[in-house]
Amino acid sequence: MNVYQATVLFRRVLENPQVTAESDFFHAGGDSLLATRVLSAVAREYGVELTFEDFLLAPTPAALASTVTGGPR
Amino acid sequence: MVGAGLAGLTAAADLAAAGVEITVLEARDRVGGRTHGIEVAPGAWADGGAAYLGDRHTELHKLMAGLGLAATPTAMDGGSRFALGGGEKTRAGRFPPLNAVALGELFDLLYDLTARVRPDAPWLTPGAAGLDAVTAAEWAAGALRHPDARLFFPLFLGEMMAADPASVSVLHMALYLRSGGGIRYLNAFSGGAQQDRVLGGAHQIAERLAAQLGARVRLNRPVRAIRQDGGGVSVHTGDGEEHRADAVVVAVPPLLAQSIDYRPGLPAPRATTATGRGCAVKVQLVYREPYWHAHGLSGWSVSATGPLLSTVDDSPPDAGAGVLTGFVTGAEAYRFAALDPAAREAETLRQVGELFPGLPPPDAVHVSDWVNEPYSRGCYAAVFGPGDWLRLGPGLRTPHGRVHWAGTETSTEFFGLMEGAIRSGHRVAAEVLSSHATLWREP
Ligand SMILES: Cc1cc2nc3c(=O)[nH]c(=O)nc-3n(C[C@H](O)[C@H](O)[C@H](O)COP(=O)(O)OP(=O)(O)OC[C@H]3O[C@@H](n4cnc5c(N)ncnc54)[C@H](O)[C@@H]3O)c2cc1C
Repeated sequence: MNVYQATVLFRRVLENPQVTAESDFFHAGGDSLLATRVLSAVAREYGVELTFEDFLLAPTPAALASTVTGGPR
Repeated sequence: MVGAGLAGLTAAADLAAAGVEITVLEARDRVGGRTHGIEVAPGAWADGGAAYLGDRHTELHKLMAGLGLAATPTAMDGGSRFALGGGEKTRAGRFPPLNAVALGELFDLLYDLTARVRPDAPWLTPGAAGLDAVTAAEWAAGALRHPDARLFFPLFLGEMMAADPASVSVLHMALYLRSGGGIRYLNAFSGGAQQDRVLGGAHQIAERLAAQLGARVRLNRPVRAIRQDGGGVSVHTGDGEEHRADAVVVAVPPLLAQSIDYRPGLPAPRATTATGRGCAVKVQLVYREPYWHAHGLSGWSVSATGPLLSTVDDSPPDAGAGVLTGFVTGAEAYRFAALDPAAREAETLRQVGELFPGLPPPDAVHVSDWVNEPYSRGCYAAVFGPGDWLRLGPGLRTPHGRVHWAGTETSTEFFGLMEGAIRSGHRVAAEVLSSHATLWREP
């Protein structure tokens, strides 16, 4: 998953086209319910299962992309 | 006007303001219907019925402002408690200790269903017949694979709709979630449908509307029969009173509207044998203060077993009392409502003791049992079962001669909520004024 793909995913789930690579999910209209939709998409499309706590540590597209590309824990 | 809930009183106020001579007949000895205040400490009120509202509930906000009522935020700061198998756990925020990917897959599916339904006319949704033929429980059994999703789905539906998944059609679930603003909005406190409460209690809305209507509102008048003839309509109450009118609005829940005797009879039913009543019992535990805050907890909890499937802090903002409200919903509400008062209290105290160890015994426990309320029969709202939207939907708002329909269940916007009730009231008042021009009296 690259940063662009993560940004597109955030934009789709948040229905917010203004999201950039450094936008914090929870400041851009996200909450824990929507966060799970990011995680299910990551699992489906990139084969990586992250926990909610992983996402709290990587709540921007840039950080999420590097967590996912860092590989499964 | 039959029914002095939010729908009936809103409509009656609109009609009275237009100069229409109107009488409101209410079955109970109080107004407000599914809103009901409980005085938890002198001058401090909690909501035994409807409580929460959000910014999108625009007609409710307008009505409150006009009545001099303010909103107060629901306090959710602090950690949550979860009992979802394997003991109690504390978590920061509201996210349950369950597999996040599995919950994401559940919400993805609910999003897709919600996006599919036609919000203004669910029965015209592409594939409506298929969606309306299946219950939410059957759908979940086929669609949800992960045990955490299967565990969480009925709890989520219970919180959203107070419905047992076995009694709600998938089309109704989709419509309900869509009409309330989508699952994120319905689920959220801050920025969502639970953001605020009515300061001093939601029951004040109906009480203030009724005060304005004065002697037009008659309590203890259950309407049993509505007869139309060439010249008008006669409304008959339980104790044999007859009220003559040019038009009548029935603003009661569908199962109760169905149980009134109409002559001539209704061309289409208001409810069927599949129509369920959402089931909710609210339990309020009253303490001297919200002790859980001192332990870093918000008061929010979610449990997989009853009676209290969720709890939330409902303390009045400035009065000296801590109120923990527990929700008993779905099939569990039926079981709990059948217990005697001592058993209800014992089960409640045992569970609260496990969820919040160290909490002193409450000063009082109030149980609002909506399951056994003969004049609600459906709480939070009626639950349309398999086939209902296809049968009931097209005629939901179609007048039967001089008989017009209101109530939250006639509103495809914010169905089941106070906002839906108020919107239905404004809609029906405009409908009555336009179809019975002779009702107008110059003010
Ligand atoms: C426990 C609980 C929690 C809820 N939580 C929320 C919430 O947080 N937010 C929200 O927006 N909504 C909530 N709701 C739903 C909300 O209360 C309802 O959507 C709304 O109050 C319905 O208003 P209404 O006027 O359509 O119906 P009702 O309030 O049911 O009014 C109908 C009136 O008609 C009367 N009546 C019935 N039959 C007859 C008859 N034959 N003759 C004369 N009168 C009759 C009844 O006594 C009643 O007063 C909740 C409901 C419950 C029970």
